[in-house]
Amino acid sequence: MAAITARISSFFGRVPRWVYIVAVLAFAIAFPMLEYFGLMQTLWLRVGTRALVYVLLAVGLNLVLGETGLLHLGYVAFFAVGAYTTAILSSPRFDIQWNFWVIIAIAMGLAMLFGFLIGVPTLRLRGDYLAIVTLAFGEITRMTLNNWEGLTNGPGGIPGIYPPQIFGWTVDSPAEFFYLLLVTVVIVVWLLNNLKNSRIGRAWNALREDEIAAHHAGVGPTRAKMLAVVMSSGIAGLAGAIFAYYQQFINPTYFLFMQSVIVVSMVVIGGMGSIPGAILGAVVLDTTPEIIRQTFTSWLPAAIGPDFLPGVQAAMQTEFDRYRMAIFGLVIVLMVVFRPEGLLPNKLWRREMHEEDPRELEKTGQHLFDFEEGTQDLEV
Amino acid sequence: MSPEHIFGLTVSGLTVGMIYALIALGYTMVYGVLQLINFAHGEVFTIGGYIAASTLIWIGVDATTPLAVKVLYFTVAVLVSLVLTATLGWLIERVAYRPLRGQTRIIALLSAIGTSIFLQNMIVIIFGPQPIIMPTAIVPTGFVEIFGARIRILQIVIIVVSLLLMGLLTWIVKGTRIGKAMRATSQDREAAEMMGIETNLTISFTFVMGSALAAIGGFLVAMYYGSLQFNTGFLYGLKAFTAAVLGGIGNIPGAVVGALILGLAENWGVGLSLGVLAWLLVAGLGLGLYFQLVRAPRQRISHIADEFRTPAYERQVRNVYRFAPVLAVRTLLSERTDALVHVSAQHALRLMVGNIIIFGLAIVFFASGDMQFASKWQHVISFVVLMAILMFRPSGILGENIQEKV
Repeated sequence: MAAITARISSFFGRVPRWVYIVAVLAFAIAFPMLEYFGLMQTLWLRVGTRALVYVLLAVGLNLVLGETGLLHLGYVAFFAVGAYTTAILSSPRFDIQWNFWVIIAIAMGLAMLFGFLIGVPTLRLRGDYLAIVTLAFGEITRMTLNNWEGLTNGPGGIPGIYPPQIFGWTVDSPAEFFYLLLVTVVIVVWLLNNLKNSRIGRAWNALREDEIAAHHAGVGPTRAKMLAVVMSSGIAGLAGAIFAYYQQFINPTYFLFMQSVIVVSMVVIGGMGSIPGAILGAVVLDTTPEIIRQTFTSWLPAAIGPDFLPGVQAAMQTEFDRYRMAIFGLVIVLMVVFRPEGLLPNKLWRREMHEEDPRELEKTGQHLFDFEEGTQDLEV
Repeated sequence: MSPEHIFGLTVSGLTVGMIYALIALGYTMVYGVLQLINFAHGEVFTIGGYIAASTLIWIGVDATTPLAVKVLYFTVAVLVSLVLTATLGWLIERVAYRPLRGQTRIIALLSAIGTSIFLQNMIVIIFGPQPIIMPTAIVPTGFVEIFGARIRILQIVIIVVSLLLMGLLTWIVKGTRIGKAMRATSQDREAAEMMGIETNLTISFTFVMGSALAAIGGFLVAMYYGSLQFNTGFLYGLKAFTAAVLGGIGNIPGAVVGALILGLAENWGVGLSLGVLAWLLVAGLGLGLYFQLVRAPRQRISHIADEFRTPAYERQVRNVYRFAPVLAVRTLLSERTDALVHVSAQHALRLMVGNIIIFGLAIVFFASGDMQFASKWQHVISFVVLMAILMFRPSGILGENIQEKV
């Protein structure tokens, strides 16, 4: 068994990376066409579009959680800032419709500003404080959105957000939003991937591995962490702005603490510090509940007959979300206990998680650190 | 704004503060021993309240039950809740935290969050989404007049019970063998182990004790507000953690002090008019100026090594604090400053910004006079308090008490 999995993984390891990228991109581009040609229900296009929003959030959070190793639990607050910026500046609420690019800029800028303000008091401190402050910030943002009725219309939310116009192109169907988001995701992922291999990317990884050592090697911890927090806040603001355009209606219940946790679990389950992992985590976690729900409410009844397990069908419609969250919680615990490196792990993380296991060293290769041989020589 | 009103607010602030303290103690003890924010603690608190309330519902108490029987039922409910919740605390540590010893902190923290979500949703699955209602017959009713304010007897009960529990806890930590083991484990786990202390047992004991305190807190909250909801623990946990940070994490008296301050701040913040709050801000400003002009420079100067101590150098440090904004910025920008002056300048600038903010707020509040914060902003207050403490004194009011190993 082990031999088979090893052979399979070595086969997949030998396929060059660009093949995966092209395959995934081709699938993504073809995806809305399935709906266009009637091969798929519109529901799935909507699920796919929402999954892309989560992909954006997951890669953004990965910057903080995976690359820099800071636990950020209020990510949805920045998402909310972006969404409400769009909703206020482009809806009948105040009867204004600003330009798409201006709104995107304001949404990202505001989210980054909030990220900065949260970072100032907390990033100088131990990592745990960031977790608790961001958590509190997420809750406060939601409460403020709920309470500040003059601006946000409170729990009633803001309906009727105007569709965006990009160079004369009015984006108003799910397929068009899918492509808009796809382009955004590709650009963001490309930028983040470049950052990962840059000087600051290495500084982030160094901080994650050992803050004191990184500091003494000349990495300014506060500044580097601040950069990560501010940039990921900006990505969340961008995602929020597009999400609001797509959803056309937002209210504070879209921005619960659980949403932050879901994004965190996407990153953890996908593999912290790995961009493909974050993407996979987002897609899997966003589509699986829908697949399970459809299986029990429409596919199985259609295949077996309408009398199929009436209790289960009813339970699936009402109780499902609750079980889903409980299972989420359980999966996070099991994941960090048994496979802390995630589904598509980052090599460095995997090695760190399995330091005691000599096979890991062989699998991930000694060549990760070029200097390692040198140090061994010194020790001998 | 009558004095009776203020006194009543103070008592309810202290009541809520005591409950925060019971929860905060669990956070701070676990943090002291493991350096882990036990996110599931808020849920443990809710479950404690749920178990006690549902035991009482299950036994069935009504107004006709004689008092002695009521007391008996009450005791049974407390015991059941204590035992089950303590077991839960032990189980959480065993299943979700112990396998992760030696992993990075963020991993353990994630496990804690997963546990918390799992437990919260299990409450909904087991007890249903609607709030659980405490049988009213068991709750002490009635009022007493103190200084003209009507105080619920229950409030006095909560304060007294909490004080007794804190006394008990202090005795356990300071005066018993297991308490000594706890202190040793939190100082240095490896060394403690070498001295023959069963650290795993000690850590389990810490969780059991924290959970038991939280269970009683949950019961008291259920009695005080008459009901509990599945997500009550989330907000209480957040605030209790804030309280623990406020008093200095890992510091047991600190958790109590922080919790009381937080409880008072919340109740005063939404109960008093802005004009009255402004006077509190003035007092705060006085304290802030004392820190900026007297305490901080004195402390900083005491850190100068003797061979460098000259009156001119001392004056330089003191001046950075006195003429903070201008001089501090200039000092920070200049390339030829030594570390002590640079750090002092940063510190002075922070203190100064804080004092200016307090001053501005005080003026705004004085101008607003009789207006009042709507009670829906109550939760925002504790967040503001948290940010302020992290900004100006991250180690908390009484100082943190954890040993960080490098």
